[in-house]
Amino acid sequence: MDHTLAFDHIWKRFRRGAVHDSLRELIPAIVRKLAGRDRAELGARDFWALSDVSFEVKPGEVQGIIGSNGAGKSTTLKILNELMEPTKGRVHIRGKIGSLIEVSAGFHQDLTGRQNVFLQGSIMGMKKAEVTKKFDQIVEFSGVSDFIDTPVKRYSSGMNARLGFSIAAHLEPDVLIVDEVLSVGDYGFQQRAFAKIKKMATDGIPIVLVSHQLDRISELCTKVILLERGTVKTSGTAAHCINTYLHPPESDAPDPEAALHGFRLQSLHSLNGLAIPSGTDLSLLLVGESLKSSYPYDWNLVCSVKNASTAAEVHSVAASARGIPLPTETKFEHRIDLQMNLPPGGYIVQSFLWASDTGRRIITGPTLTVQVIAAAKFFGSAQLNLRWSDVTGNSSVIPSGETMPSNNGNFDVPDDPVGRA
Amino acid sequence: MSTPTPGADVSQSTVIFAEKRRVSTFGILAELWGARELVMQFTMRDITIRYAQAVMGFAWALLMPMLIVAAGLIFRLAFTNASGTAGQTSSIASLLVKSLPWAFFSAAISLATQSILASANLMGKVKFPREALPFASVLAQSLDLLVGAVLIAIVLVVLGTPLSWSVLWVPLLVVLLILFTIGWGLLLSCANLFYRDVKYIVQVCLNFGVFATPVFFEPQMLGPKYGAIMLKLPLSPFIQGLDLAAVRGHNLLHPLALPASNGTMVTVWSPWMLVYALVLTLVTLWTGLRVFRRASALFAEMA
Repeated sequence: MDHTLAFDHIWKRFRRGAVHDSLRELIPAIVRKLAGRDRAELGARDFWALSDVSFEVKPGEVQGIIGSNGAGKSTTLKILNELMEPTKGRVHIRGKIGSLIEVSAGFHQDLTGRQNVFLQGSIMGMKKAEVTKKFDQIVEFSGVSDFIDTPVKRYSSGMNARLGFSIAAHLEPDVLIVDEVLSVGDYGFQQRAFAKIKKMATDGIPIVLVSHQLDRISELCTKVILLERGTVKTSGTAAHCINTYLHPPESDAPDPEAALHGFRLQSLHSLNGLAIPSGTDLSLLLVGESLKSSYPYDWNLVCSVKNASTAAEVHSVAASARGIPLPTETKFEHRIDLQMNLPPGGYIVQSFLWASDTGRRIITGPTLTVQVIAAAKFFGSAQLNLRWSDVTGNSSVIPSGETMPSNNGNFDVPDDPVGRA
Repeated sequence: MSTPTPGADVSQSTVIFAEKRRVSTFGILAELWGARELVMQFTMRDITIRYAQAVMGFAWALLMPMLIVAAGLIFRLAFTNASGTAGQTSSIASLLVKSLPWAFFSAAISLATQSILASANLMGKVKFPREALPFASVLAQSLDLLVGAVLIAIVLVVLGTPLSWSVLWVPLLVVLLILFTIGWGLLLSCANLFYRDVKYIVQVCLNFGVFATPVFFEPQMLGPKYGAIMLKLPLSPFIQGLDLAAVRGHNLLHPLALPASNGTMVTVWSPWMLVYALVLTLVTLWTGLRVFRRASALFAEMA
């Protein structure tokens, strides 16, 4: 049987305000209501946390859910976990659900790590025999084996979270729900946790992943939905959704600004795909139209690259600085080549028309999200195309003052650069 | 806000897991049986924490009954003095036997009432049968009941209380009492989640409840009319039955009447009280399970 998980037109309504959570408040409220006052308070206070949300995750698929705080991500997960019932709609789940959601929630501070593993495992639905069998694996994965017989109140918060994650990660679920737990623990643990989830994805377990770490989303997810105030704003590839999330498109109506300024940026395409091995070229085609014969002297066409998860600017260059003047009275096509000497992750390329004197953007052009994928392994924030050779006893091979030749992708790329095959 | 929501069609909402929501009472019990390891884990958690220091743990098991016995002795002294009657100095043995179930009920209800709220952080995170929490609270308290029972048994032997076959009624009544307590624990634990001041009200009721059960009073002290009323109070059949069976060696299948201070006979036991205890237990447990399951769909929203 294929394990799947589907959200079929889910609606969820919450009552806003006026919830009495003590008798001290409830009883006066009832008296007021009986006395005929306080009528207007009811009714208008509902709000829809989810409106008509649908998606389906099949084996081998990883469904990402992104969106701002309050967009409905947590509600979605709670409904998936059967913790809440939707007001309307159906959830179909075939298989045993495992969830990595704030994974040390069941820990009791006075119990030892060992006791908590059994307690938490049991809360998550594991049999005692199963926990016993996997106990060593769990403890080893968490890396807290030296402290397993210490009460968890003496643990650091990272150790707590690591142990919690390890228990949940050994559930062997048929479908997996992951909520923002990839930021648990230190760097090394995060890598291991991420690898574990990736392994489950590769094994064909349908996964729903909620995260604000957009680079993780784009690395892991085969498809994404973007939630906004409880509705599905858009869905599709990670790049598309992240792009929409970070740069909400303007309305589809003809851009009044374009007419006003007599300039239009129509499209931005990649000529060599959206997955670029780190250190190789990204070739872009920027298409636009210039309607006027002259523009203010300080207007510049700019191409900028931003980090998709941090929104920090990585690189930004004006066409004029590369000897390309602003086109006049013509449709134009510009080719832009960028050597993506960057660590793996999502990057957003954007073109815009910019007034250098005022620093104002005149026209914001189309954006493009590309994925830089791992090539030769390195750590840090830039790919320096390092070449390293052993020249012991052969110092004559060291060139002096030689400039580095461009090296477009002439280095080792592993067999499975995306790691998602 | 984009809410294209005609208010009308919400009423015909399809509810997911509808089949699970309409689960029968036996279904709930079967589910709990399936989750018995979880119930045991919660029980062990509660016990481990309390008995972390072994001496204090056992002291707790004894302290409450002892306090109740002391209070009961003072109360009876005052009562007999005030009424000017020659006091029926009911034996210490009887007071001991009756204080233990009350101490159990009182402590278990306090624990169970807070059990869901104490685990509120789990409600929005993990799915498991929520009933396990109040069940475990009552079961953890049952260990204290067991420890107390063993110690009281020793005291009874020392006091020279004759042993009779009627003591076999004790386990039955204890099991019924535990189930009855679980029923209340289920009801109060979800009430306390929805209305957070329920626990204060419960505490007040427990403090005064001891006067509404035959712990301090005995029916024959109150005369035929009030004695009959007292026997109808919900905990009476359990407490009265335990006393009569364990201390007086009375077979609960037969009625019993004892003389009041003025010589009239007062009914202190009727076999129907066994049926009453059974019905009370089943109704409370059933109501508790139904209400709890119904309410638990909202736990994640309330916690």
